[in-house]
Amino acid sequence: MNKRIQKKGICLILVLAALLTGILLAATAGAEEAGLLRTAVTYDITTMDVAKTTEDYMIPMNVFDRLFETRMEDGTAKLVPSLCTEYKVSEDGLTYDFTLREGVVFSNGNPLTASDVQYSFERLLVLANQNTDIPLEVVGGQDVMDKKAETLSGFSVTDDTHFSVTLKAPNAGFLAELSSPAMSIVDQESMSDGFGVDPAAMIGTGPYLVTERITNDHYTLVYNDKYWGAEPSVKKLVVRVISDANTQNLMFQNGELDLIDLDKQDSAIVQSQYKTVYADRIVSVRKVGLTFLALNESNEYLKDVRVRKAIGMALDVDTMIAALYNGDATRENGIIPTGAWAHNDSLEGFAYDPEGAKSLLKEAGYEDGQISFELSMDSTATGSIQLVYQSISQLLDKVGIKATVKSYDHAAYLDLRGSGKMDAFIARWLLDYNDPANIMLTFFGSADNTLHRSLNYPDAEIIARVAAAPAIVDDSQRMAEYQALEKKIIGEDAAWIPLFEDMHLYCLGSRVASFTPQWAGFSDFYVTDVVLKD
Amino acid sequence: MKRIVQALLVLLLVSLMLFVMLRIVPGNPVAVLMGEHANQATIDRLTAELGLDQPIHVQFFRYLSGAVRGDFGTSYSLGKPVSELMGTAFVNTLLLSLAAALFAWITGGLCGLLAAIRKNSIPDRLFMGFSLLGISMPVFMVAMILQYVFAYWLHWVPISGTADWRSFILPAVALGWNSAGSIARLVRSALLDTLEEDYIDTARAKGLGKSGVLFRHALRNTMLPTVTMMALQLSALLSGAVITETVFSINGIGRLAVQAITARDIPLLQGTVLFSTAIVIFGNLVADFLYTVLDPRTRKEA
Amino acid sequence: MLRKKEKQIVSDFEHRKADPAGPSEISEAYDLGEAETFGKLMLRMFRENKLSAVSLLVILLMILCTILAPVLTPYGETDMDLLNRLQPPSGDHWLGTDEGGRDVLTRLLYGSRVSLMVGIVPTLLSMVLGALLGVMAGYFGKWTDTVIMRLADIVLAFPSMLLAMVIMYTLGGGLFNVFLTLTLMNWGSVARIARSETLRLKKSEFVEAARSIGVSKWKIIFRHILPNCLPTLIVLFTLNVPAAILTESSLSFLGLGIQPPGASWGLMVNMGRQFLYNAPWLSFVPSAAIMVAVLSFNFLGDGLRDVLDPRLRKQ
Repeated sequence: MNKRIQKKGICLILVLAALLTGILLAATAGAEEAGLLRTAVTYDITTMDVAKTTEDYMIPMNVFDRLFETRMEDGTAKLVPSLCTEYKVSEDGLTYDFTLREGVVFSNGNPLTASDVQYSFERLLVLANQNTDIPLEVVGGQDVMDKKAETLSGFSVTDDTHFSVTLKAPNAGFLAELSSPAMSIVDQESMSDGFGVDPAAMIGTGPYLVTERITNDHYTLVYNDKYWGAEPSVKKLVVRVISDANTQNLMFQNGELDLIDLDKQDSAIVQSQYKTVYADRIVSVRKVGLTFLALNESNEYLKDVRVRKAIGMALDVDTMIAALYNGDATRENGIIPTGAWAHNDSLEGFAYDPEGAKSLLKEAGYEDGQISFELSMDSTATGSIQLVYQSISQLLDKVGIKATVKSYDHAAYLDLRGSGKMDAFIARWLLDYNDPANIMLTFFGSADNTLHRSLNYPDAEIIARVAAAPAIVDDSQRMAEYQALEKKIIGEDAAWIPLFEDMHLYCLGSRVASFTPQWAGFSDFYVTDVVLKD
Repeated sequence: MKRIVQALLVLLLVSLMLFVMLRIVPGNPVAVLMGEHANQATIDRLTAELGLDQPIHVQFFRYLSGAVRGDFGTSYSLGKPVSELMGTAFVNTLLLSLAAALFAWITGGLCGLLAAIRKNSIPDRLFMGFSLLGISMPVFMVAMILQYVFAYWLHWVPISGTADWRSFILPAVALGWNSAGSIARLVRSALLDTLEEDYIDTARAKGLGKSGVLFRHALRNTMLPTVTMMALQLSALLSGAVITETVFSINGIGRLAVQAITARDIPLLQGTVLFSTAIVIFGNLVADFLYTVLDPRTRKEA
Repeated sequence: MLRKKEKQIVSDFEHRKADPAGPSEISEAYDLGEAETFGKLMLRMFRENKLSAVSLLVILLMILCTILAPVLTPYGETDMDLLNRLQPPSGDHWLGTDEGGRDVLTRLLYGSRVSLMVGIVPTLLSMVLGALLGVMAGYFGKWTDTVIMRLADIVLAFPSMLLAMVIMYTLGGGLFNVFLTLTLMNWGSVARIARSETLRLKKSEFVEAARSIGVSKWKIIFRHILPNCLPTLIVLFTLNVPAAILTESSLSFLGLGIQPPGASWGLMVNMGRQFLYNAPWLSFVPSAAIMVAVLSFNFLGDGLRDVLDPRLRKQ
């Protein structure tokens, strides 16, 4: 009996196994839809409305257009006309006359008019959420934001395709600013409460429509056949939320993703798996931005410039670059990053000198282990950045400074930083548009700004000079001023410790022929810059 | 039916405890939500809208009255009604758990059966070795290995997600692995024990074929503890689902709970945990019921 | 012989979960009066069941490593060496280095402090707490019973991971809170079992005798009832420790328990996950450690059950 049961049991197992294997093997083949691009992100966007975010740019960049765009052409970032075809600037640099492209319609058929542009400016001010800096430069902007006026007095519409904008002060970077995702043009007529939340409410002039959004799972963009520009190669984009970087890695190598953002992968994996097997499919772009260690000058220890300088001397940035970024990063020493206009190549930084750091601290009167503060970390930081945190904590420990790493979830992190109370943290800023004003003013442009970024830089005179710099019309004068300010703020005052600027690597799947990343190395990209193989 | 009342009471107390615990945490969740540029006026307005400025017992009653109607509040981080998010997630978790249970029953049952039949021989030790692996390997380890070998290396199944039925295979195995081990041990000992019983010898003496003996009496006796164990394994399955869904990126209740925690999303966390607990309580009720049905001894006592 | 006991024990616990007031076959037989000392029982276990003996040795060895960790390794727990990341095992680093250049063996040893201690200590504490509460519920009855048992029901209703997550959320992160969480999670099942033992023991002869003489309630509890619950509780302890170890490692795996750069076996497995191709030992070594710990406690529990079940003694 035993033998018979046993045989029956074994037969059953074998049959099941065979069946299963058969099904699996048979079903693995399957062609992907033509024109489909599959990518992934590690965390979902919080909103589709660009007025409410400085991070979630994918949908604004692809569903909407701006007056200009910044695109990479022959290796340099150039300002390219988009919705605006012609412009004229007045002699005093205050008034701009724009001509809109003819025949552009929104995805619902409504024609694009100058009043839509005006409405887009005003909307940012009325919502008073994020991204108010640029529209505030227009005359009457403050009144709209304070609810004292309903329309922008500095904005005048001549006819459906002609309008002018008058600024409060001349700004050489104004046109570049207009290419920033925040300045996306929306349709005044169809604006509804569902905007930003409901896919159907996202009416733009851009090449794509949002057809589906399942929170925390995926969203889908589909080609908008009413688009005024060239027909793109990708007709459908699916962005999946895969929070685990490792899973993304496996999926890509398994052929389930067509494009992977290698930022989230550890450098060792990039080195050993991607640069070997996929060497010819890697696309890299310099991130025009800066990764730095921010220090809060309202902290009792960090307010002493000698402590800040000692911290700078305690960090072995070159080893970090070599070990954690495979050398794919450039050492930075100031504020204006490599690749941006006005970058100062000859600026000297902090040399790695732990002994020097120790003696500087001693000279300043601090005991070993006396200085202690918190190093706050965003839990969504990439693995490499997390290792940078740990490394910094270790290196500071070696010179007698106790910096404890504490992890916060994304929202709590932003909240603490915005309150101006975060002691120290690693920050990364990529330029929204190609002008040093973007990084200079965001951090040092006003007392408010420097507080909300938890830097609390105290020198009001310097802050005033930073705020005034964009108005300098002469290019070489402006560059000299920016560089002088940079030397003072970082070189003398060590307001933050610059670390590096890294490269952004992507890897293309076998279905992709080419990909041009966004000029500043954002993770978000223009889908029209992806070309699929036929 | 006293049991049902008891179960409902426990559920009520669970929701109360959960409610209180999640609100002890300091900090205004609205402030955290609004992020960097929020002004105090907006925070205050939203706080009042969400009813967070009311005393706790008022908030609790509001929550309960909503819950009874199926309204569990709106997720802070995802902006959608919690019940809607849980609806889709629950379907996935249910499918996953059913598949895992199926795997556990079949594999565990077969292992235990074959081990019992050939007791103390090589196959026995082999199958029992597997069952030991089953109970000692952590869920995440099994999930990792399976994903790496079968999805990544052999390309037999997708790495993650819920695109089609094939995506459920690996997670189901990972989740059911533990249970399979326990079931194998249980089935083996139950079977062996039954085979030794006197009444089996009597049955054999009567002339019943060996297989008849086995299938009629032994298996029926094994059913009881196995079935009750399965119903009680529900709690363990939901626990394991948290990890499995995270590793395989399956949009289920477990993963939703993890995301709720990382995002400090109280309504979502509350909803998912309450829901899962309700399932466990319900499962225990069913187990009790099955127990009384299947075991004539207890029926007499009850 | 063996399988009778197995089926008995397993179904016993399952029955107990479904029907807490039911009879317990182990302890019923135990207090029939055979007073074999604990020492003798242990000796017998080691003689008869080699596996349990080995397991106990392994556990003691692991605990020893935990205590001696700083002595056993020249590296600090969090000493990073970025230029030597992800090195395979070598003379300098017996188990290689991890993604931060830290010595894996060192982290394994320090990680055992967390993983083992978090397995043992909270389980012990929850045993004490649960036993006390369960006995009180069983002995005093009425309101004490109702309140305590409802509390236990609440705790038992949650799936373990979710309960752990909620408590961690309330308390915040960190090692101490992990301890607290695991203690609060496990007392429920202990209380239930202790209660049913107590209910049964309450009716036994020597308790009746003690009560008639006028011995105080608490003396009865501590002198007669608790000691007689001990065998069942000891076995339960060895069953719950592996569960606690697995819960902690799962929490750390999800990033909800121990945070980097601290060491915990679960955390090490998670950190090593992306390097399965480059450096598979990063995940496998701590996983193996977890398995060894879990298996050791399970075998030890089996062995203890063997000696503590008097039915075997008769045969």
